[in-house]
Parts: sequence; C-alpha cells; structure tokens
Amino acid sequence: MSRVSPDFLPQLLAGMVVNFEIAAIALLVGLAVGGLLTWAKLVGGVVGAIAVTLIGLMRAAPTFVVMFFLLNIIPSDATLFGVNVAPSGVMTVALSLVPYAAAYVADNGSEALKQLRDGSPLGALLFLPNVTRAYFVLVMSSSAGAAIGVSEGIAVILREAERMPTLGDKMVLFAIGIVCFGITLQAGFALMRLLQHRLGRLALRSRQG
Amino acid sequence: MSIRRGLFVFLAWLVLLVAPVVQAETPDAALTTLLTEARAAAAVPGACSQSGLDRLVRLYCTGKIRIGVREYYPLFGTREGRERLGYDVDVGRAMAERLGLTPEFTRVNAASRIPLLADDKIDLTIATMGHNAQRDSQVRFIRPHYYQSETTIVGPKSLDIKDWPDVSNRTICVTIGNGSNAQIVSHNARLMLFDEAGVLPDRLRDEVCTLAAQDDSFFAYYFTDPAFTARFDQKFGFAQVPWGVAVAQSGTDRLAKALDLISQIFHRDGEFLKIAKENHVGTGFLERQRIVWNRPDCNTASGNTDPACVLPALTAVLEPTPFAGRVAAFEAWMEQHTGIALQLPMFKTMPAWQLFKAGIINSLILVVGALAATLIFALALGAVQSSRSFVLRWPARLLIVVLQSSPVVLTLVISAAVAHALFPYSSAVAIGAAIVALGLMNGSNAGQAIAEALHSLRTERGGPPAPTTELYGRAVSRSATQIVSFLINAAKGTPIASFIGAPELLSALTDITSFASGRASTYSLLLVFYIAVVIVVVWLCGKLQIWLERRQVTA
Repeated sequence: MSRVSPDFLPQLLAGMVVNFEIAAIALLVGLAVGGLLTWAKLVGGVVGAIAVTLIGLMRAAPTFVVMFFLLNIIPSDATLFGVNVAPSGVMTVALSLVPYAAAYVADNGSEALKQLRDGSPLGALLFLPNVTRAYFVLVMSSSAGAAIGVSEGIAVILREAERMPTLGDKMVLFAIGIVCFGITLQAGFALMRLLQHRLGRLALRSRQG
Repeated sequence: MSIRRGLFVFLAWLVLLVAPVVQAETPDAALTTLLTEARAAAAVPGACSQSGLDRLVRLYCTGKIRIGVREYYPLFGTREGRERLGYDVDVGRAMAERLGLTPEFTRVNAASRIPLLADDKIDLTIATMGHNAQRDSQVRFIRPHYYQSETTIVGPKSLDIKDWPDVSNRTICVTIGNGSNAQIVSHNARLMLFDEAGVLPDRLRDEVCTLAAQDDSFFAYYFTDPAFTARFDQKFGFAQVPWGVAVAQSGTDRLAKALDLISQIFHRDGEFLKIAKENHVGTGFLERQRIVWNRPDCNTASGNTDPACVLPALTAVLEPTPFAGRVAAFEAWMEQHTGIALQLPMFKTMPAWQLFKAGIINSLILVVGALAATLIFALALGAVQSSRSFVLRWPARLLIVVLQSSPVVLTLVISAAVAHALFPYSSAVAIGAAIVALGLMNGSNAGQAIAEALHSLRTERGGPPAPTTELYGRAVSRSATQIVSFLINAAKGTPIASFIGAPELLSALTDITSFASGRASTYSLLLVFYIAVVIVVVWLCGKLQIWLERRQVTA
C-alpha cells in the first residue's frame, strides 16, 4: 500500500464523479429518446413498427462497439450551423450508453403505461426504481471510457496499477476500486429499495383511503 | 635514354593512366566539372531564353534557387517573423551556397511538397520527407539521404521497457495512418488512436497515455524541454525511414546529379553533422553516414549510385489480396450509383485481410465461450448458493457481491492480470481470461436468480427440504428469463475483451484502421456484425427460454 501515490484516492474520487456525470447524461438523453420511442410504439402502425425495430436494434447494440463507432464516425472537426459538434471523450461514452438507456426506458415506459391502464398506479410507479437501477448500471458501464482515454474512475485505477511492480500490489489497488464502486452500487440499490418501500406504503394508504 | 628522360616518360605514362580515373573518382572534381559546364551553358548569349532548358542551367540564369521548406516542424523547419530556422532550412542554405546560388524559401507542408515540385513552383524540397518506393514515381530523391527518422516509443522513465517483448499487452498511443502502426500491432501491443501527433505529448503528461509512438524527429523538440525530459525518455526505436531532398522528375538530371554529389560531400566532410548539432537534432544517423562516405569505395563520383553505399527506399506498399481489384471496383460502383464513399480496407491488403479473418473467428469463439461460461458458472454458483452448508454458501455470496460491485472493465483487467501471472502472454490467454471474466460476471447474477428460484420453490413446498436434482432443474426452468437475459448480456459484452488484448473483431479493425483508410465504413461494418451476432444470440436464447419454460410446465 505504501507504493500507492498519495493523490490516488482524490483522483479516484474525481474519476468516479466523471462516471456519475456520464451516467447522468446518458440517462437524460435516454429518457428523452426512450420516451419518444414509447410514444411512437403506442401510436402503432408504421410508426409503431419502426419504433419497435429501433428499440430491438438499440437493445442489441453492444455499448463498447457503439462507443468506438461514434468515436470514429464523427470527425473531430464536425460542425453544425458553424458550431463544432464533435463530442468530447466524456460525451462519446455517454452517447454510447444512450441506446441501452433508451431501449430500457422504452421497455419500462411501455410496461408502466400498461400498468396504469390496467388500474395499477403502484405497478406504474415501479418505473422510478427501475430507472434508478438503470442509472447505477450506467455508472458501472461508463468504465468503458477507460478504453478511449477518458479519465474516469477505472482509468485512474489502471494508471496507478501500471506503476505497481507485483500482482499483489495491483490486487490491493483493484480491491480499493471494487470497494469504492461497490459502496456506490450498494447505496444505489438501497435507495432503490427505499423508493420501492415508500411507493408500496403510498399505494396501500391510497387504497385504504 | 637518360635516367631523367626515362623518369619523365614513366611519369607521363602514369599521369595518362591514372588521371581519368582520379577525375571520375572524386565527387568534388565531378561537381566542379558539372557546375562549370552549367555556368558556361547559362553564359551563352540567348541560352536562358530557350525553352526546355536544363534546370541547373536555368538556375544559373536566374542566380536563385527556390527551396520548399516547412514552417511548423520544430527543429527542422520553423519561422519566426521573417527568420527561418531549422535543420532543413540550414541544409537548404548550405546547398545553395555550394551551388553558388541565392536561396529563396517557400512554405510547403506534407500535402503540397510534391505538387509544388511538379508544378515548377519550387526547384527542390527539403521538408522532412520520408523516401519510400511509392514516392519514387512522383519525385526524384537525392542520394545519399540527408537525414533519417525512426519511430520511437516514449514513456515515463520509471517504466522499464527496452524491446518489443516489454510492450506486449500494453496500450500505445499512436496517430492514425502512421506506417509503423502495423509493426506495433504485430508485437501484441494495443493501440489508442489519435488524429494529430501534436496531442501525444499532452496525453503523456496528463497520463491518458502511458506510452506513445511517433517519429523521433517529432519528439526531438519536446526533449529540449527540461520538464518533459525529466519525466519521459525514449524506450527504443524502430521503422527507420530515410529522408530525402527531392527535385522534379523531368529536366532535372544535372541538378539532381549536382545535389547527389553535394549531399555525398556534406556527409563525408561532416557538414550535415555540423548543421544537425547547431539545430539540436539527433546525430546518430549522420555519424554513421560520415563513416560510410569516408570509405574509399563510397567516396567516388559514382558512390551515390552504389547500393553498398546508399540506403534503399522504404517499401511501404502492403501486399494486395487476390480480390483487391474487385473490391476497388465495387467501391467505385457504390460511389457512382449511391454517392456513398464506401471503403473496405480489410479486403484490400493481405495483412488487413488476415487480421479481419482472425478477428471474426476470435469474436465467434469469444461469444460461444462467454455463453458456455455464463451457463456453467450460473449452474455452479446457483447450486453452491442453494447449499445447506454455510461454508459453501457464504463464499459464493461474497463472490457474487464482489462481482456485482466491480465495473466490467475492472473485472476483465483483474482476470487478465491473474491469467498473465500464471501463463505467458498470448492471444489465447487473453481470450480465455475474457471468457472467464464475462462468464463469472453474468453467471453470478444468473446463479443468484437460480438460487432465488430454488428458495421460492422450497417455500411453496412448505419448508426447506434438501435440494434435489429434480428441484434444482425446476429452479433453473423458473429462472429461465433471468438466465436468458444474462446470456444475452454476456454476448453483448464480448467486444470489451479487446481492452485486455483479445484479438477479436473490434481489436482487429482498430489495428486495420491504424494503417489504412476507411474508418467510417470499417466501424459501421463492425456495428452491423455485432448487432447481427447479438440478434442471433437473442433468437437462440428465446428458443432456450421456451424449452426451459415448457419443462417447468411439464414438471
């Protein structure tokens, strides 16, 4: 442990903030795109069929490949109406997570609307904990950014690991990473369970009332 | 015959015998003769107004020589106000002085240095231009070469890297299109691609890149910065490229011959070496060349055409595939009929085609392996978690919590680190480590679902009976949706194996695009391939799910 540089932990925490940032952007864009796809699915007909196909493709697209696809397909000097629109590394990772987030939102959004129509507002409200779950999945998936040089949490760990001479030292470092990400994940799941519990009580109260 | 007369006859005979040979063997004498003749031809009244004039004669008509140099290449060609600096600029000045002409410099860059020669806008170019066989058909290179660069690997001083075995399984930052990328790839290093070389030193400083590969002439400038030199050093060099002064191909016979001789003399007399030292550029190549051009067999007027003295041009052309022509025709047809500039570099050259084929096979092995590993780990961890033994159950639960808490990239890296500690690095080891990591990550979640299903079955049966094979089979059927979901997830996760050096398709195509064009087409094809693979896996998993659910209903 003495070999770990003193600024490793602050750098790791700063890197993890980047992971949260990426996940937040991906979820926000995913909510917008997924919401639109849910609406298109409900419209039915050709529009609905297109939406269903798109959701299927988005569900099947591997995040890591989408990330490299975006990185290589958008020129670094791309402009739109004179404005540079080439995404940064962080934005590229966030956008690569959008197909997963949008497909997830569309699937759960449709299910929530179905529950609402069937007269189960509690079932519909399950959409919220599900979105929270997706957010933490996105936080974990954003570690793919390390492959394209984004300075997120895992990139910080791997950078430090390069300096470690033995496997044992590296394992200690990896364990610190797992603990940091694990605490975050478990806290997220605890939040999700709390949300579910509150929603359950709310539904029970409204039924009694 | 007196002794005196006899001696005179002997000396006269000796002079007649040796004189023509001496004249031919001295580059200085050959140069003097050539320049004298050209000056004389230019002095003939009306000669300068004639068309089709030899370029060297024309230069003496104007008294000036137009030299193309770079303006933004530190240490070799830069401009500060009206002052031009750098090794290339000083070589141009020295050559002009030797010719007895006044130099006039023109700015060129990598794209314009050949067209400006062909358009007769400049007389010669001295602009960090590597001499490869492809360029031999466009310009005439002056031999011997005035400099040589090589690709150098730069990294932190603390990293002990001396040769190729030390870089295998490491990531090296490179620029797209660099000819030496193919060589790096062949030594099992992974590439991180950048558009511009200018960002590499910054990426080293902010530690995004641990290692970077680029021309040593590019890094030479950064190594003049004490802060950079304190942190980084050059690990080793490879892919040497001789740099050539070049003139146009037509009408330049005499000019080229004169410059060949000057270049030869400059090497022999250490003139290039002196200029290099003054401009703080590397001198290793020039020191070696000085020894060569002082050798009696090379220090002749014809030495600059002797293969034993001059360096060959770099052969940068990759072997084409037998169907490269048809692929090119298809690309042209596509562009003509659809307007889409499709480029398929993976089908055009043998190295790219071999990487592509291996990438597809390895990707399919990875997908099948990850699916099998997920299923095996799911069944094993599901069984262990359902065990009545505390000693078996709790370690399994701990393992699942750890795997759920570790981001996918970290789990892969840990798996690769353990595998490399046990076995020497190879592609098979990287693929194996990736299969184990993906199987563990997804199998642990699926195993948890099986254990939960078993628990629910036990509860339904009114108590905790000992788990039987029949009950376990029903639990597997009950958790079919979860198992299928994690199998699909495992298939989707396989491209990330490229992060630990598994040579699957993403890795192969990244390598191909590092030395070939057509990034957009290549990565579009990659996306289509993986989506198709996942769709097939989804379809197969759907069949598995139906079979498992039917089994549950039957039971």
